[in-house]
Amino acid sequence: MSNIELGLLSFPVILILIFLRIPIGLAMLAVGIGGSYLITGSFNPVMAQFKHLTQGTFASYSLSVVPLFLLMGQFATLGGMSAALFKAAATWMGHRKGGLAMAAIGACAGFGAICGSSLATAATMGQVALPELRKYGYAGGLATGTLAAGGTLGILIPPSIILVIYAILTEQNISKLFMAALIPGLLAAIGYMITIAIYVRINPESAGQVERAPYSERWKALAGVWPVLVVFIVVIGGIYGGVFTPTEAAAIGAAGTAIISLFNRSLTGKNFIEAILSTASSTAMIFLIVLGAGALNGFLAMSQLPQVSAEWVVAQGFNPWVVLIAILFLYLLLGCVMDSLSMILLTVPIIFPMVTALDFGLPPDEFAIWFGILVLIVVEVGLITPPVGMNLFVINSMAKTTSLGQTYKGVLPFVASDLIRTAILAAFPALTLYLVRLLY
Amino acid sequence: MSLNPVERLVSGLARYVAIAGGLALVATVILIVLSVIGRALIPLGLGAITGDYELVEAGVGFAVFAFLPWAHLTRGHAVVSIFTDMAGPRFNAWLMVVCDALMLAVAVFITWRQALGAMDKFAYGETTLLLRMPLWWSYTAGLIGAVTFVLVAAYLLAVSLTDAATGRQPQAGQGAVH
Repeated sequence: MSNIELGLLSFPVILILIFLRIPIGLAMLAVGIGGSYLITGSFNPVMAQFKHLTQGTFASYSLSVVPLFLLMGQFATLGGMSAALFKAAATWMGHRKGGLAMAAIGACAGFGAICGSSLATAATMGQVALPELRKYGYAGGLATGTLAAGGTLGILIPPSIILVIYAILTEQNISKLFMAALIPGLLAAIGYMITIAIYVRINPESAGQVERAPYSERWKALAGVWPVLVVFIVVIGGIYGGVFTPTEAAAIGAAGTAIISLFNRSLTGKNFIEAILSTASSTAMIFLIVLGAGALNGFLAMSQLPQVSAEWVVAQGFNPWVVLIAILFLYLLLGCVMDSLSMILLTVPIIFPMVTALDFGLPPDEFAIWFGILVLIVVEVGLITPPVGMNLFVINSMAKTTSLGQTYKGVLPFVASDLIRTAILAAFPALTLYLVRLLY
Repeated sequence: MSLNPVERLVSGLARYVAIAGGLALVATVILIVLSVIGRALIPLGLGAITGDYELVEAGVGFAVFAFLPWAHLTRGHAVVSIFTDMAGPRFNAWLMVVCDALMLAVAVFITWRQALGAMDKFAYGETTLLLRMPLWWSYTAGLIGAVTFVLVAAYLLAVSLTDAATGRQPQAGQGAVH
């Protein structure tokens, strides 16, 4: 078997292992190590590689931003900030038709500005918003669907852990990617709100009426979210302005959210340990996958598959847009069964060289940013597509009276909104690149 | 749930090592914040902490190693269970054994190579650039988590083997030790 064939074969093998419930990082590690053995005929290269690969991956300055953003998100979930955000959004828009669900989306967007993870955003906002939505007579599926979709704003709106990983994989500038994600993130929030408006127009019985809040109460509630605003401006503004490295921004954000939750009296010794242990679990999961990707990419580079497949795609003379659409569909399909981070780490090393070889009429770094945002959005759709959408499970487990089937049905309009937005952003790269071009 | 002594020992160990890693992460946060404040106050005669990048790498590296056993013990790794959910409990029990054996093999491999890497760095006396901190220090710090990872992986393999052989239902994802 030729090296290229070995490289190609590794993908079905990994998928089979993953579908057999082998942890994704472990499957990538095993195939990477096994594949290198098959190509070189000896374990010596991998044995030499692993003397320093693990340490180099775990003790890496650029990757250190990942646990720090996770820690920041954990402290943010403690700090009562989710409640303040929802209250502010609800007093301003709750009285509209479907307004409480829209408020939940708005609050998710706000929370996404200080939390880089989808699951944490969905779970935190779910705790605050689900009981309120039920209290005011919102249908079960609409409530869970809204929060599952709103959770994806945690990752779309910077900071975003997936974008950090993408930036490292493709050697792009994190701050430019964060900046590029801002408009698509806001479009997502607006799109979800429009979805809710249409949904309640078609199903008027699915949403109850909330009394209009007086302006005095609105301003008071809005004033309550200033800590979120301060953290967001310092962290993201600092990254955009080049004042901090992303790692420094994440550390400052973690300190900021910890201080806020101290003042809210929500940071107790017990909570602190829980925050640390949740950070530990997510961090170890991500780094095992990153290490697996390191081993796998070492093997793929030896097999020369990335270069050869890139040359092949160009030689075939495919229409670049057809290739792009095919790739986005592949991500949507994979997203139905796989988590987003694993998909990125598994596919980007091979797909990125392929697409950069194609001509979309953009300079290379602009293309990398635009493609990264598109991929980010389609892998996030995977979090809310039945049957395996992590956000759906998380939210559904919190809503005792809503069946998983109702949640599946409730989220479909939001998936449709995601697909429309993806098409718009793919057709008009300028939307994504506008801020980057403006500020750099 | 009553815990047997081995279970208590292993889960306690994983928990404390993870907490130690978390404290290292928190210390890293404090270090970075102080360094940034120092850098902002250069006009007042302060400055960034020398070698802050090196300390961040060392702290986070120790933490990530220390987190591995906890994530494995609580079954925190990302898996796709949609297809195996359709299979019977016996199939899944043995699949768990295969998975745990593979994890143990990888844990042993990583730990063994890390130890040799540490010896390399010790033998060559390599240090970090600014602080002249010997590199074998952070390699060895990583070994604390790595060795715990091996112990946890061995323990979980024993548990899933017993479960599979006796036909006992695995405790719900072994998540009971939270």
